[in-house]
Amino acid sequence: MEFKRFLINKLVLFFMLSTLITIAVYLIGSAFDSEARFGYDALLTPIKYAALCLLPTLVMWSQHELSPKQILVRKALMLVLLEAVILFIAFTSPVIDTGSDKVILTLVGSVLVIFVLVNLFLWLQGSAEAKKLSRDLAAFQKLHEAP
Amino acid sequence: MDVRIETIGKGCEELVLIRCCEVTEEVREIANFVKSRQGSLSCTMDSKRYEIAVTDVCYIESVDGKTFLYTNEKVFETAYRIYELEEMLKTKHFLRISKAMLVNLMKIQSIQPAFNGRFTAVLRSGEKVIISRNYVKALKAALKGE
Repeated sequence: MEFKRFLINKLVLFFMLSTLITIAVYLIGSAFDSEARFGYDALLTPIKYAALCLLPTLVMWSQHELSPKQILVRKALMLVLLEAVILFIAFTSPVIDTGSDKVILTLVGSVLVIFVLVNLFLWLQGSAEAKKLSRDLAAFQKLHEAP
Repeated sequence: MDVRIETIGKGCEELVLIRCCEVTEEVREIANFVKSRQGSLSCTMDSKRYEIAVTDVCYIESVDGKTFLYTNEKVFETAYRIYELEEMLKTKHFLRISKAMLVNLMKIQSIQPAFNGRFTAVLRSGEKVIISRNYVKALKAALKGE
């Protein structure tokens, strides 16, 4: 893959992650600390988290075509690194109560859910593109088939 | 080797004649090229020589420096390199879909999504081949006739 295309894909992923992390922060915050109030700097939190979470995805970069098995292994490695990044953020943040197992489990679970959702969206996007390619292919074959 | 092109009248039989002292590998290559332009490819299977119609080939793959032609049921070996076949067969609806593979677009049944921006081409024979993300753009252009 061209590095430029790789970067564009990462940018798309960054915006998807920002949105999903915002939703996750809202749900977790409402459940555990609904009375908390924050300043404007809190708006940057999902963006910072998304940028940090983007770093593990760099393990998917390869100049050569990866086999399906290699992709699965790298995706698993990426999930482990993502969990590590989130736990690092949690344990270095003064506002997250890392003493509570419930909070830690919720964080780890949230990362897993977001990871699955992002991959599901990407799959659906690829599926829509594949359907369009199949339609274009059928039109191409109809145009060029022998009389 | 000198090359002469002679224009003939309509209705006369067109012919490519190679005059040589010996039928060398180079002469065979020229003859094979002419045949491929007319829609057939020279290949071998179990040391026997075959001429197969380009339209019967589903896909072409390069493995360990050897090039193989896959039809619905058989696999033939050819002396051509993949880049030579790509050039020769681009007017016959063949397209490169990965570093080592050319596919006959007329033999694809459907396209399915695969991991990491790649697609899987499901052939009419039931076989599945991976379309590398690097060649998706070229596929889209080819299907639109660009």
